[in-house]
Amino acid sequence: MKRITTGNEAVALGTLRAGVKVVTGYPGTPSTGCLGHLLTLDLPDRHVEWSTNEKVAFEIAAGAAWAGRRAMCTMKMSGVNVAYDALISVAYSGTNGGLVIYVADDPGVSAGMPEQDTRGFALMSDLPILEPSSPAEAYDLAQQAFELSEAVGSPVFLRLTTAIALSHAAIEVEEPVPPADAGVLLEKDIAKYTKAGSKICLDQHRDLIERLDEAAEWIHKRGLNRLDLSDEPGGLGIVCSGAVNAYLAEGLRATRSEGLPRDPMSILRATTVVPFPAVEARQLLDRCRLILVLEELEPIAERQLAALAQRVGWTGRIVGKLDGTLARTGEYATRDVVRALHEALAGLSSCGGPVRVGERPQAVLLLDDSEDIAVQALPDGLSRAPEAQKAIPANDAEGVAPAPRPITVCAGCPHRGTYLGIEAAIREAGLSEDEVMVTGDIGCTILGMNPPFDLLWTEVSMGSSLGLAQGYVHAGIETPVIATIGDSTFFHGGIPGLVNAIQHSTPLTLVILDNGWTSMTGMQVNPGTDAAFQPKGGRRIDLVRVVEGLGPDSVAVVDPYDVGAVTEAVGAALSAPGIHVVIAQRECAIQARRRGLVAAVVTVDPEKCILCLKCLRVTGCPALSIREGESTGRGELPSGSSPGNGSIEIDEETCTGCGICAAVCPTGALVRTPAEPRALPGEKRPPAGSSRPGKERTV
Amino acid sequence: MTTCDLLLIGVGGQGVLTIGDLLLRAAFAADVPASFCPTKGMAQRGGFVKVELRIGADGVGPRIGEGGADIVAAMERSEALKGIAFVKPDGSFLLYDHVWEPTGVQLGADTYPSLKDVSDAIEASGARLTVRHPAERPEIDGRPVSANVFLLGALMALPKMAALFAAADVERIIAARWPKSADANVSAFRAGLSVRLASGESLGRSPDRELPLGRG
Repeated sequence: MKRITTGNEAVALGTLRAGVKVVTGYPGTPSTGCLGHLLTLDLPDRHVEWSTNEKVAFEIAAGAAWAGRRAMCTMKMSGVNVAYDALISVAYSGTNGGLVIYVADDPGVSAGMPEQDTRGFALMSDLPILEPSSPAEAYDLAQQAFELSEAVGSPVFLRLTTAIALSHAAIEVEEPVPPADAGVLLEKDIAKYTKAGSKICLDQHRDLIERLDEAAEWIHKRGLNRLDLSDEPGGLGIVCSGAVNAYLAEGLRATRSEGLPRDPMSILRATTVVPFPAVEARQLLDRCRLILVLEELEPIAERQLAALAQRVGWTGRIVGKLDGTLARTGEYATRDVVRALHEALAGLSSCGGPVRVGERPQAVLLLDDSEDIAVQALPDGLSRAPEAQKAIPANDAEGVAPAPRPITVCAGCPHRGTYLGIEAAIREAGLSEDEVMVTGDIGCTILGMNPPFDLLWTEVSMGSSLGLAQGYVHAGIETPVIATIGDSTFFHGGIPGLVNAIQHSTPLTLVILDNGWTSMTGMQVNPGTDAAFQPKGGRRIDLVRVVEGLGPDSVAVVDPYDVGAVTEAVGAALSAPGIHVVIAQRECAIQARRRGLVAAVVTVDPEKCILCLKCLRVTGCPALSIREGESTGRGELPSGSSPGNGSIEIDEETCTGCGICAAVCPTGALVRTPAEPRALPGEKRPPAGSSRPGKERTV
Repeated sequence: MTTCDLLLIGVGGQGVLTIGDLLLRAAFAADVPASFCPTKGMAQRGGFVKVELRIGADGVGPRIGEGGADIVAAMERSEALKGIAFVKPDGSFLLYDHVWEPTGVQLGADTYPSLKDVSDAIEASGARLTVRHPAERPEIDGRPVSANVFLLGALMALPKMAALFAAADVERIIAARWPKSADANVSAFRAGLSVRLASGESLGRSPDRELPLGRG
């Protein structure tokens, strides 16, 4: 049956078709939609969960696979760093049931965090990695990944990039297959499942390397790496991997339509670059004298091709990233392929005419950027600077630029009150924000780095706010140090940092912004989410009791809508020695709103509004705008507005009645009236324990 | 087959992604190959949003790239400037002139472009510009109809889109998407299309598939 899916959903559906038993993961854009989709389905004979972090997720999947079941864990590329400690050990041991690690990489950084190339992890851990170039391929390769994993007894990476993971396309989908009813495998074998002693580890390492060789053979026999050799020797060779495969055909059409020479051309369309398709690559080397390598991010295929070329004494030229032709940063599109083809064809013509069979071309293999390549003139509009094409440029040709649109917290976001309270506490302590280190962490809470707060100094990785804060303390900073972290991030990676601070009595103030959801990735359930939304039979972990159990010098729980209370609690923490934790607790405004829970109604009295703009300046709330007489702000002029009488306007559809604007209004023009819970237009209650598919947000 | 590479841009909360989703479904229903790739910023509301739609071509990558869009449709005046680099010199640029001033502009710290600034910059690219205004939207029960569905109608009025599938097919998708508010949304669509038809009358081809429309 044909249906519309995203790349993420295609992986999920492929996994079901493969008879997966256990799927675990931690949300992270652009990977979230895969496990998120499975949670929308009724899958009584399978286990699907958002785990506390990626390491735990991987370990659960590995345990299930060791017990003979098919299992997958999902994560964004940053999660591989967290999972890797367990992952490399399991790679050594191998697996029984199919074990697939689905990772979404983010070339071009649509979601934030490093442009980490998971293929590098595959290389480092001697694990095969499959790279689909479309949602349809993702569906197919998700299934083949399990077959490969079981055929060679090794975990297998399945890697998508943002454009493939998030794009929607119609693909052919078959019925899911229930997990095989094979019972649980209980195998006691310390030589396989432990690292007890050097002999065991060395044997496992040898076996791991052998498994990768076996994987190469399996992949070769399956024909996953497609080689099209031109009948005529000589000419251009192309190695293309992953998402770039989707742009190659288009790039070739565009190049030919521009009237460039129809040189003989041989193409290796790689689905795996680890293990490297050496058999196919060798044939390509034998046929061509110049090879263009097209791959996003790191030159993983290119380096292996260069090594192979050197080993077999090939003396042609490789055009790619190592000679500076293509960028190692950013995402590629057809345009980059066209540009690279132009450069490669120009390089080819400068190498002389076609070679005969058996004849050795005379060009020199380049492994660095030491030679300036002769390039024929590029068609108009084709820039040679790849970086220049990445970001959407401001149009300043006419001196007109788009207005800056920094991202701030949503209307009604509880974090707004927390950040305003921290700012006020710093001021009341006689300090300025320029001298107080406030470390930030991953998730919505990082929006405190943006206007109007401009409060946070750092963003590193899940839980890093706590470690970094301790580093600043030990460095000898004289002003108080504050760490900020969200609830899911605290459970994921923050607890060890707090344990460390308490054990070593390192004085700091930790502010936990607890909104009860893993919000930025699209509202997943985390250990602290209200019990009503926990998975069936699951329990809520009380974050306050966890913190109290660790034994800091004080724990204060405050409502962030009460900015005064936050200020007081943070102020008390800053003025006292020791380790103090302030937990600002209120549900994410978006989630509360979806259930019709609105704190209050805020209205404007235009007679009292003097348009001092203090509310806008202090809160930066997106529900506030200026309504002027003739011109309008964000919305269209509502009927009945009186031209000339400007005032602040509140967007009823956005406002959740937190009342923080009313609290800062000096004239009483903004009035907060407590409201009964009411249903809001277009909002639905989320089903318990599920995420919302298609509503991914970024980490 | 006719192909169309379409870039939609706007601000989170305007329903840009929904336009992309509806067009993808219309293509699917018409058995036209299509790919729809959304790019969102970090905010649910108020951040830059971009959607790349590639309709009619099979086996193409999801990204359009600069200078590759047959049509750019922008739902916000200032953000429209970000689309200029993507439109083909002989392409079409559809601007829905909604003004959503960022807070920095409201506070006087940043400047916001005038409609003339933006129109001039678009026309300088060589693209054919069509401007539609928020005030053109009809009201239902005292509220203007959905801007995004209105813009979808305006999009379907462009020849390049009309060559791919009929407006009636898109209407059917809209009605199926919001069964309870089908009338209002179909009205918004037709206002954008600037075609007003009596109840039951069909648009474009596919006369065998009548739309069960009420009055909006």
